[in-house]
Amino acid sequence: MTIRKYIALVRAGIMESLHFRLGTAVTLFANLIYLVLVYFLWKAVYASSGTDVVNGMTFTDTMIYLILATALFNFLEMFVVWDMSRSIQSGAIILDLLKPMKYRSYTFWKYSGSHVSQFILAFVPTFIVVMIVTKGAIPIGLNLVKFMVSVVLAQIVNFGIEMLVATLCLYTESTWGINIVKETIVLVLSGASIPLAFFPESIRNIISWMPFRAIYDIPLQVLLNKGGSDTLAGLAKLWGMQLGWCVILTVAGVIFWKISVRKITVNGG
Amino acid sequence: MAQEAIVMENLCKDFKVLNRREGLKGSIQDLFSRDYKTVSAVKDVSVTINKGEIVGYLGPNGAGKSTTIKMMTGVLEPTSGKILVNGLVPYKDRTRNCENIGVVFGQRSQLWWALPLVESFKLLRDLYMVPQKEYDEMIELYRSLVDIEPILHKTVRQMSLGQRTLSDILAAFLHNPGIVFLDEPTIGLDVSMKSKIRDLILGLNKEKNTTVILTTHDMGDVDALCKRIVIIDKGSKIYDNDIEHLKTYFGSYRTLRVRLDNNDTWEETLIDEKTTDVMTVITEYQKSHKVKDIQLQEISTEEVIKKLYEGGSV
Repeated sequence: MTIRKYIALVRAGIMESLHFRLGTAVTLFANLIYLVLVYFLWKAVYASSGTDVVNGMTFTDTMIYLILATALFNFLEMFVVWDMSRSIQSGAIILDLLKPMKYRSYTFWKYSGSHVSQFILAFVPTFIVVMIVTKGAIPIGLNLVKFMVSVVLAQIVNFGIEMLVATLCLYTESTWGINIVKETIVLVLSGASIPLAFFPESIRNIISWMPFRAIYDIPLQVLLNKGGSDTLAGLAKLWGMQLGWCVILTVAGVIFWKISVRKITVNGG
Repeated sequence: MAQEAIVMENLCKDFKVLNRREGLKGSIQDLFSRDYKTVSAVKDVSVTINKGEIVGYLGPNGAGKSTTIKMMTGVLEPTSGKILVNGLVPYKDRTRNCENIGVVFGQRSQLWWALPLVESFKLLRDLYMVPQKEYDEMIELYRSLVDIEPILHKTVRQMSLGQRTLSDILAAFLHNPGIVFLDEPTIGLDVSMKSKIRDLILGLNKEKNTTVILTTHDMGDVDALCKRIVIIDKGSKIYDNDIEHLKTYFGSYRTLRVRLDNNDTWEETLIDEKTTDVMTVITEYQKSHKVKDIQLQEISTEEVIKKLYEGGSV
C-alpha cells in the first residue's frame, strides 16, 4: 500500500516542524505586529469613508476576514520554490530524485506534515481567539467541516502554483525575483491582503476566474458562511472551482515537470 | 535473474555548454548567445559488473565518475550507448530503479536533519515498503556489525561527521538494495572511523551479497575493499581489472633499499623484475660493500594510480 509512504512522510514532517517550536512562537508574534498594522490601516479606511459598511463589509467583517486570512497564510505558506532552487544549486536535489517515489508526490507529502502541525499550532489558536473576541460573529456548525474540505483543496491549488513556479526556476537559475512576483500576485489576488470585495467589479470578475482565489478567498467564504456557500448550489460552485483548478494545475505541473526534468537529466543538475 | 548487476555498453554523455565571454560586455552578449560547445564527459565506456562485486570506480577530479554514477542511478540520460541496472533502463524507470539501489554521497546526507536516526530509518522503511520483519533483521545485523546504540536516538544534526557517514551508509543498505553506490564515503574521516566504515561495508557486502560501486580518492579504501577497479580519465576508461594486476601495470616494479657499511643512509634502486632479477642487484652491491640491511618494497597502489592519472600510458 502506497499510503504507508504518505503517512510516513506526513509523520516525519510533523515531527520535524515540532522540532522548531520556537519558530512557531515567532510566527505568532510577527502576526500580532502585522495585525495591529492591519487594524489601524482599515480603521483609517473606514473612518475616511464616512459609512459603516464599505463594499458590503463592516469593519468587523473585514478584520475577521483578514485575521483569518493571515492565520491561513501561516500554514498554507510553502517554500517549495526556495527549497528546490537551493537544492538544485547545491546538487542535493539528487537525493530527492533518488527516492522511490515520484518527485512531485514526494515533495507534496513531505510538506504536508508541517501543514498539519502549523494548522494546529497557528490557525486553530488564532481562530479560537477571533471566535471569542467577536462573540459569535463566526458561525459554528457544518461550515467548519466544509471549511476543512476547502482548505485541503486550497492546499493542493497552492502546491500546484508553487510547483509550476519552482519548475520555471529550473530554466532561469535565479529564483528571488520570480518568487517575489509570485508571492505578491498570490497575496493580492487571492484575498489574503485585501478582501476581494474591495476590488472594482470588472477586476473582481477577472480575479474570480483565477486560481488564486481558490487558496484564501474560497475557504474563508466557506468558513464564514458567505459567498453563497450556505446553499448547496453555491457550495458546489465554490468547490467545483477549487477542484477544477486542482486538476488543471496538477496536470499542467506534471507535464511541465516531465519536460523540464529532462532538461536536468539531459544537461546535468 | 541474470548474473550482471550493471551493464554499460559504449556509454557516452555529452553536455552542451554555453561559451561564456569575458567582461561585462561579454556577459551581456551571453544573454543572447546561442554559441554552445559540446563537452564529452563520458566517452564510449563499457563495463559489466556482476552481483556481489565491490568495484572501485576511480579517476582524477573531473574525469566523469559522477556523471557515470548519475547515469547508473537514472538521474542523467546518456547521449548514446546502452545501460542496464538490475535489468532496468535507469533513466526510463527511475522510480523503480531507485527501489533497488542505495546511494551515499559522502558530502551530503539523505537523513532527516532534525530527527533522531531511528526516525529516519523508520521513514525509509516505509518509503521503501520494507516489511517489519526484514527491517528488524537488518537492524539486528547492524547491531552485530557496529555499535549503533549510541547513535540510534541521537538527532542527525548533533552527530559527528563520522557518525553521520556511518548512519548514511546504514540508511543506504536498509532496504537491502541490489546495488549500493558509495561516492567518497570516507571523505574527511579520521583513521579509526575510516577503518570502521570499511569493515562495515565489507560486512554488509558479505552478508547481503550487495554489489558495491565505490568512488574514492583514498587508496586505503581501495586496498581494503576492492578486488576489482575501473579507472576512467577524461571520460574514457583506461583500466578495468584486478587490483593485483594494477601493480604490475607499468611493469613489475619493486624498490630495493639497501644500507651499506660505508654509510648510514638507504640506497634505493627501482627494479623491473621482468628485466632484472633482485638477487643480481644485491650481488652487485655485495661485490663492493658489505650489506648491513635490506628492504624490498612493493610499489603502492597509490603510486600506480598517481602515475596513471598523470597521463603515463603504457
